[in-house]
Amino acid sequence: MEALGQDRREGLGRKAESRAVLVTMIVASFILLLSSLYSAEASVFRKARETVLDAAEPILALVAAPIAYIESVVGDVGDYFNVMEQNKALRSENAELRQWMDEALALRKTLTQYEQLKAFQAPPEAKPINAFVIGDSNDAFTHAMLVNAGAPDGVARGQAVIDDKGLVGRIVETGRSASRILLLTDAQSRVPVFVEDANLEGILVGRANARPAISFTLSAEPANFQKGQRVLTSGAGGVVPRGVPVGVITEEKDGEAVIDLYADFARARLVRIIDYRFPSLDPVPAPAPDAAPETESEESEAAAVPASVAALPAAPPAPAPAEGAEDEPAAPEPSTLAPSTPAPPPVEPDEED
Amino acid sequence: MSRRTEGIATLSRAATPTILGLIGVILLAFPLRLAEGLAPTPLLPLVVVFFWTIYGPGLLPAASVFLIGLLQDFLSGGPLGLWPAVYLVTQYVVASQRGYFLGREQRVVWLGFVFAAAGAAFVLWMVMSLMTRTLLPLGGVFWQMAATIAVFPLFSAAFRQLHRRVLREA
Repeated sequence: MEALGQDRREGLGRKAESRAVLVTMIVASFILLLSSLYSAEASVFRKARETVLDAAEPILALVAAPIAYIESVVGDVGDYFNVMEQNKALRSENAELRQWMDEALALRKTLTQYEQLKAFQAPPEAKPINAFVIGDSNDAFTHAMLVNAGAPDGVARGQAVIDDKGLVGRIVETGRSASRILLLTDAQSRVPVFVEDANLEGILVGRANARPAISFTLSAEPANFQKGQRVLTSGAGGVVPRGVPVGVITEEKDGEAVIDLYADFARARLVRIIDYRFPSLDPVPAPAPDAAPETESEESEAAAVPASVAALPAAPPAPAPAEGAEDEPAAPEPSTLAPSTPAPPPVEPDEED
Repeated sequence: MSRRTEGIATLSRAATPTILGLIGVILLAFPLRLAEGLAPTPLLPLVVVFFWTIYGPGLLPAASVFLIGLLQDFLSGGPLGLWPAVYLVTQYVVASQRGYFLGREQRVVWLGFVFAAAGAAFVLWMVMSLMTRTLLPLGGVFWQMAATIAVFPLFSAAFRQLHRRVLREA
C-alpha cells in the first residue's frame, strides 16, 4: 500500500521549472478572473462560452436521459414508503383544488363575456418553448442550469423560465443547441417582482442560498408585507410577463422579504421558456402622429401599438385613476392591456397622464 | 510491442490524470441531484489534483490543471479563471507539502486533503465574495467540500490502484 511514492526522486529534476510554470499559471488565472470581471460581456468570452456550451450539449444530453431514468426508478421506490401520507396530502389538496376549479370556471365564464365586447384586446400571448434540463452547475456559488434548446428554437437572453410550479430563472446564454438559465437563487439574479395583496414592488435578489429575498429599494417607509403573501413577477423591464408565480414570503430579514420559491430546482426535468415580448417592441409602421408626447417610456410604448390607439387621444384624460391602476396588483401590466377601450371611458383610462 | 503503439501507450498514460479531471468536471455539470438535490456532487477534480500533485506531479502539469479548471468555469457559468485559480493554488500548496505526504499512511493523507479542501473552499469563497461584493453564505461550499472529503478515500484508493498498476509502468 504505502509503497506508492516511496522514492522521492520522482520528478525532482524538473521541480524548479515546474514550480515556475505553476506560479505563472496561477497569475494567469487571476488575470483572467479580473478581466472576466470587468468585461464579462466581451464578445470573445461570450463566443467562447457559447461554443463550449454547444460542444458539451451532446455529451450532457446523452447522459441526462439515463440519469433521469435511474432517478425516476429510485424516486418510485422512495414513494412506496410514504404512499399513505402522500395519499392523504393529495386528497386534501384535491379538495382544495376543486374549490379553486369552481371559482376558475365561474371566472372563465365572466371572462368570455368580457372578451365578446368589441373593445377588448387580449394581452400578447406568451409562447412557450419546452426544454429538458441537461445540466446543473453543482457549484456552491453559481446556480445555473443547462437546457437543450438554443437560439434556433427561439430562445433569447432575458427570457423567463418556469417549471410546473413557478419561475425558475432567466436565460443568460444561448448557444445553437443549448442555453444556460441563471436560477433565482444565484447571487447575480435580479428579477422585478411584486407582492400580491400588499401593493409592493421590489427586486428579487439571489442570495446564493435556497431562498432569495426581495429588496424594496424604492420605498422610503418600511414595507408592510406579511408572511404567506404571494410573490409574482411584476413585468417591469418588459421581458418577463407580469403575474408569473414566484413564491411565498416566509420571513422578514433586514427589511427584506425572504421568499420560499414555488419552483423545485431539484425536481425540474422539463422546463418551459417563455418567449414573450411587449407588442411595442415590434416595429410599427407610423401611426399615431400626436398620440401622446409624454416621456414615460412604458406608456408611450403602449400608445404606439396598434392602429386603434390613434383614435384615442380624444378620450377623457382622467388623470387620477392612473395611480390606482398601477396599484392594482392582480391586473396585468397596464401597458399590455392599454391599447383598447375607445368606447367605455372608465375602464382603462391610463394611457396618458 | 512496436515503437508506435508504445508511444501511444505512454501518451495515454500521461494523459490519464488530465482526462480523469475532465471527466470529474463533466460529472459536476450533470444534473445528478443526489438525494433529491440535498447531497451536493463531490468535487472530483479536486481529488484528482490533490492525488497526482502528491504521487505523480509529472503526470498532471499546471497546464492540465488550468485546462480542467477552465472547462469547469465554462460549464458552470461562473467567472472565467475562478476554478483554475482554486485548483492551481491547491496544487501549489500541496506541492510544497509533498515531501511530508509521500509514504505516509492514507489517513494522514486524508487529513491533509481535509486541509486542502478547506483552503480551496476559502479561496473560492473569498474570490466569489469579492466579485459579488457581498459576504456569501458558507453553507453550500461547506457541504460540497464535506461530500468531497467523504468520498476521498474511495477515489484515492481507486486512483492508487490505477497509478500503481498502469501509470507507473512506463
